[in-house]
Amino acid sequence: MAAAAALGGCGSAPSASPTHGAVIGIGERDFHIQAPQHITAGLVTIRDHNAGPEKHELIIVRAASTQLPLRSDGLTVDEDRIKPRTVVSIPGIAPGHTQDTRLRLPPGHYLLFCNMAGHFRGGMHTELVVS
Amino acid sequence: MRRGQSRIRPLQSRGRRAVVAFIAIAAMLAAGEIALTVHVASRNAHRAPMLQVAARQRTLAERYTKALLLDRTGAAADPDVLGRTLIASAKALLDGGTAPEVAGDDDATKLPAAQGREIRAQLTQELRLANDLVATGQAWLAGDQVDTVRLTAGEHPDSTMPAERLRVLTALTSNVSLNAARSIGASTDANTASTIRTQIALGIVGLLLSVGLALALMVAGRRQVAHFRSLVVASQDLVLIFGAQGARYVSHSVEQLLGRGQRELGGWSFFECVHDEDREPLRNACLHADRRTIGFRLAAADGAWRHLEAHVTDLRDDRHVRGVVLNGRDITERVQLEQELTHQAFHDSLTGLANRGLLLDHLTQALARTRRSDHPLAVLLLDLDGFKQVNDSLGHAIGDDVLRAVARRFATVTRPSDTLARLGGDEFALLTEDIDELRAGALAARLLDCLTEPVEASGRTLRIGASVGIVVHGRGDHIDADDLLRRADVAMYAAKAAGRNRFEFFREEMGERVGELLSLEQDLRTGLERGEFTVHYQPEIDLATDAIVGAEALVRWTSPTRGSVSPGYFIPIAESSGLISPLGEFVLNEACRQVAAWREQCPLDPRFTMWVNVSGAQLSQGGVAELVQRTLETFALPAAMLGLEITESVIVEEGSAAERAQAELQILHDRGVRVAIDDFGTGFSALGQLRRFPVDVLKVDRSFITGVHDEPKDAAITAGLINLAHALGLLAIAEGVETYEQLASIRELGCDLAQGFLLARPMEPDRVRELLLSGTGLVI
Repeated sequence: MAAAAALGGCGSAPSASPTHGAVIGIGERDFHIQAPQHITAGLVTIRDHNAGPEKHELIIVRAASTQLPLRSDGLTVDEDRIKPRTVVSIPGIAPGHTQDTRLRLPPGHYLLFCNMAGHFRGGMHTELVVS
Repeated sequence: MRRGQSRIRPLQSRGRRAVVAFIAIAAMLAAGEIALTVHVASRNAHRAPMLQVAARQRTLAERYTKALLLDRTGAAADPDVLGRTLIASAKALLDGGTAPEVAGDDDATKLPAAQGREIRAQLTQELRLANDLVATGQAWLAGDQVDTVRLTAGEHPDSTMPAERLRVLTALTSNVSLNAARSIGASTDANTASTIRTQIALGIVGLLLSVGLALALMVAGRRQVAHFRSLVVASQDLVLIFGAQGARYVSHSVEQLLGRGQRELGGWSFFECVHDEDREPLRNACLHADRRTIGFRLAAADGAWRHLEAHVTDLRDDRHVRGVVLNGRDITERVQLEQELTHQAFHDSLTGLANRGLLLDHLTQALARTRRSDHPLAVLLLDLDGFKQVNDSLGHAIGDDVLRAVARRFATVTRPSDTLARLGGDEFALLTEDIDELRAGALAARLLDCLTEPVEASGRTLRIGASVGIVVHGRGDHIDADDLLRRADVAMYAAKAAGRNRFEFFREEMGERVGELLSLEQDLRTGLERGEFTVHYQPEIDLATDAIVGAEALVRWTSPTRGSVSPGYFIPIAESSGLISPLGEFVLNEACRQVAAWREQCPLDPRFTMWVNVSGAQLSQGGVAELVQRTLETFALPAAMLGLEITESVIVEEGSAAERAQAELQILHDRGVRVAIDDFGTGFSALGQLRRFPVDVLKVDRSFITGVHDEPKDAAITAGLINLAHALGLLAIAEGVETYEQLASIRELGCDLAQGFLLARPMEPDRVRELLLSGTGLVI
């Protein structure tokens, strides 16, 4: 987690190949997401590690704040409604596992969150500025 | 199979150990499989209530929140109970214990401690969230600020509103409980799947082991079959299996053994190769196994008979064989060796004829047959004449050649039913049955005739004769084989005595004569040992001067039982028995000793010669020259004082015996010893030989001297002999001069010396010494 944070702090991984862009370390655990606040726009590899103990997912959407529309249960974000803004949706990652996802992030404000029942509202979200 | 016999166990040693290893591994796999199944079943049995309680937690969390809301609205609810149940259940799920009952739902459930790091982490989180939820609920019920409640599960609800905050915590607790239940279920499924995989793996391993074991058994079985096949194929022994159709199996070894193919001996053909005498017993053995071992003969492809010794094994009840097994070993060489040894034991190795043992055996059987019938039998004993001289003079190798040649000739005369044997030395015997005296005599004549032609041996031509003794035996007389042979021996002796090269039938009175001869021989031997022999001397006169110029040494034997025995009687016995050598040595020694004594005591004529008779047998045996030389040295005698008298026959005979005699005489003559031919004129004419022999004196035989004065022929012969002697430069001595007329006649004929009763009888040495001392002539 510390390594992921360090990588995230640098904005790019020294070991990352130029074609894959920077590696952005994301750490998830009950019930918190740790990620760099600023990164450079472009092709990046999102390396999401779930420290558990629960299963978590990671959804990245363009958003200026944490204010996202909720479903009728009042507990989970209405993903349909934010679909146009959704950059990527990484389904559930088992505790202890890591998953890499390559994507191109244009400059802007982004929100990273887990949308499993109660996790978003329990604190599992963080903001990211790409510039 | 009997105890102690070796057995071939195909799965012994490595094979057996392999099977044991296979079985042990298979058993271990089965045991492991069962243990694993039991273990997994046990774990799954515990997981079921865990799963039930874990799933119930989600409901409990939601029911707790509802109860809080109801309680806030004043409705009857008991959130505390539900809260405690939620926490107690979470604890029981994590660390084991009893999950409390839920009214109207579940009974209290006993749970084991959670296993697995992931599950325990989830249940720990569930417990924290339950505590956070219940703590928040209690704060709300107590009217406290819920956002001041310290949360332990890492959650950060985004609302400070109690209801919202509780809603989020409930959702998290519910979600975590659901995930924990899923993990427990998944763990159970994983265990079950793992068990199934393990069992499948174990099953595959077991299957492979079973297949391996089967293959190993097949290989071992094939090896066993190959092993036995190679044993049978490579074996020198003949193996056959007989069934109702004859030989059903014939081993490959038959080709090497008999030179016949396996197919050639199949079925009943096998018995066609069996010797007639062995066929029925062998057939019974092969078809009925009526004996354990059997010997038989088989005809090889080249016609030779092979002797076999076989073991018969009855395996008709053995479902793998269903027949009688014959295991035969070739013992031909052993049989031949036995036959050879038997032949050697009963045959003479030199001639191949029967030996004495076999002759006696056949003779005993023939005597038994004769006693049962009227057919007489005859035994002919043949002793070769002159063979001893051949053997002594030409050597044993030539003697053996002669014996073999004679045996072959005898064999041409005999019938196959006769037994021709060599008893030893030059003695042969012939047993013939169903024969009378007339035909036995004719047979003996044929045997003698077959020796008429000279025998060729090592390039030499030798004349061999035989003396044959015949005994014919009928049924009346009870006699054993040894006695019969003894009688034939007596008759043979009689034939020899009667002039040799002839046959004589046995007559009872012959026994006495033979007994006498044997007795005389024994007495001679004893007499020599006891010193019963003496030497007398008959002087010889020089007819010109009347001087005593020599003496002939004449042996005399006075036996204590026989009295005075004539030399003419015992000399032949001494010659035939070999006693002539010690007797001759005695006479030579005594004569030399005597003349040496006279030489000192008396005035001897310078020409004085002591004459000693030497037989042809002595000369041909060799060693005479050395003996004479040694004796002369012993008594310090000049060689010229000794003369040796030999008979005319010695120089007449041809061959190496005569050559050896001549050589011996030549050596002595060269040293000065004088040589005289005794009884000259009575033997064969051998003037040529006379020239080659070293002779000094011819002694004219007394038979001519007897009539020299009144028989013109005797006078003419005597004159001729004297002239011959002179012509050859020899002296002539007249023997047996008994009258004055004879003395006058020989003087007239120019004879040099004389000897006879008229002049001097043979006399004791003292008398001779007196004559010598007196110096007087003997003749008037």
